[in-house]
Amino acid sequence: MRSMAASFGDFRCGHCHNLVSAAHTFSGVNNRNHCPYCLWSCHLDLFVAGDRLSACKGQMKPIGLTMKKSRNKYQLEKRGELMLIHECIECRTLSINRIAADDDPENILSIFQDSFLNSRQTQQQCESQGIVLLSEDENELVYKQLYGVGIRTLAV
Amino acid sequence: MNINDKDDIGIVFRKTIGHYTVHTNGRELDCVLSSLIHKQLIYPTADPTSLRHRVQEVREIEHVDPIAIGDHVRFMDVGQNRGMITEVLPRLSKLSRPATVPGQRIFEQVIVSNADLVIPVFAVADPTPKWGLLDRYLVSAESSQLPALIVITKMDMAWKNKSLDADLEAYRLAGYPIQKVCANTGEGVSELKQTLQGKNSVLVGKSGVGKTSLLNAIQPGLGLRVNEVGKGEQGKGRHTTTHLEMFELEFGGMIIDTPGMREFGLWEIAGEELAYLFPEMANYVGQCKFGLSCRHDREPGCAIRKAVVAGKISPHRYKSYMNLRGEL
Repeated sequence: MRSMAASFGDFRCGHCHNLVSAAHTFSGVNNRNHCPYCLWSCHLDLFVAGDRLSACKGQMKPIGLTMKKSRNKYQLEKRGELMLIHECIECRTLSINRIAADDDPENILSIFQDSFLNSRQTQQQCESQGIVLLSEDENELVYKQLYGVGIRTLAV
Repeated sequence: MNINDKDDIGIVFRKTIGHYTVHTNGRELDCVLSSLIHKQLIYPTADPTSLRHRVQEVREIEHVDPIAIGDHVRFMDVGQNRGMITEVLPRLSKLSRPATVPGQRIFEQVIVSNADLVIPVFAVADPTPKWGLLDRYLVSAESSQLPALIVITKMDMAWKNKSLDADLEAYRLAGYPIQKVCANTGEGVSELKQTLQGKNSVLVGKSGVGKTSLLNAIQPGLGLRVNEVGKGEQGKGRHTTTHLEMFELEFGGMIIDTPGMREFGLWEIAGEELAYLFPEMANYVGQCKFGLSCRHDREPGCAIRKAVVAGKISPHRYKSYMNLRGEL
């Protein structure tokens, strides 16, 4: 088993130490870049996703959720794909990453809820990079993205 | 047959299977190998001054071929421009790579010996430069303590590679000299000639990058065979040059043309010494929190990683370092 830093393949999470399979069959993504259990990542990419050129290699903490901007200008705002926002705990770099099929939805929800408590500095950093943190108002949208139905339907 | 008693010394200029062309005093001899060169005679070490200096053991040598182009050899002249190589004189330098003999373990293949300058040749496009391969050549040259000169050919196709200068910046940062040339237009050829003057240089590179065309441009009289870039298997190009040969340059010096090498393994380089072979990293070795034990991967307080983040080392070169480190 190789470390996350050296690999596009299976790795052991640097945060929760679980073994993670990078097989497309499980994750549904080509670049498995975070742990499906704790959702932490590792700062490996520098210019584009998958280039593995970063020498920082710090752990990246999931700090919130955002929606991937759609290229379709006629599409309603905030429709698209739910994305995780990671922040490097070493160099404070932000990156947004696709949620994989095997990511723990309960953990995603708790990250969403914790993101309301993010510091003003973190929020400003996201804004400066054009990343829109999902707020409490988008609760329904997050549930729909994760479970296919809204929170009200889920409660019934 | 007129066999001279005296052994002569010459330089191996060319080799084909079982035959070696040796130049000596303006003569060219076709030589074969003495069977002794294939063997290693082990003498007792207990008392080297003993008169009873008997061979204790005979071992096979651990090379694919004991003779390399550029070797200074002692040979026995047997007349009719033929001879037998009896001894390889100590090499001042050598450029090696691992070679696998089917069914056997990995042996050292000395590509050239006694060279002064390694010239990795890359085309600006067709075939697309593989910078990872360049890093391998450079590491190998550093390991042999040979200076390297990066040559970029086919500059008339520069429009096909917009990122060339950005890619080469990493090597400028590392302190490697770079020369851009074009065999068709003659761009940069005279500057390259000045660099080659009086040196024993070796051209290395992938198939189809234009090593032989460059050689013909440097010295038109050579008239070596050149091809269009092959569309061969898997788009990897077709070999034009199929053997190693050394040429004497009319303006002074010698140059060795090599067949295209798609792969270039590193020979006898330990993981711990790899960072020393990247000149831009060498100064930081030992400055890490874990000193010389640092692998420069994920260790906290790594000076090399800090230098990469600070922009003093190219991230591409660092990635190459990590890739090579993973192999060793």
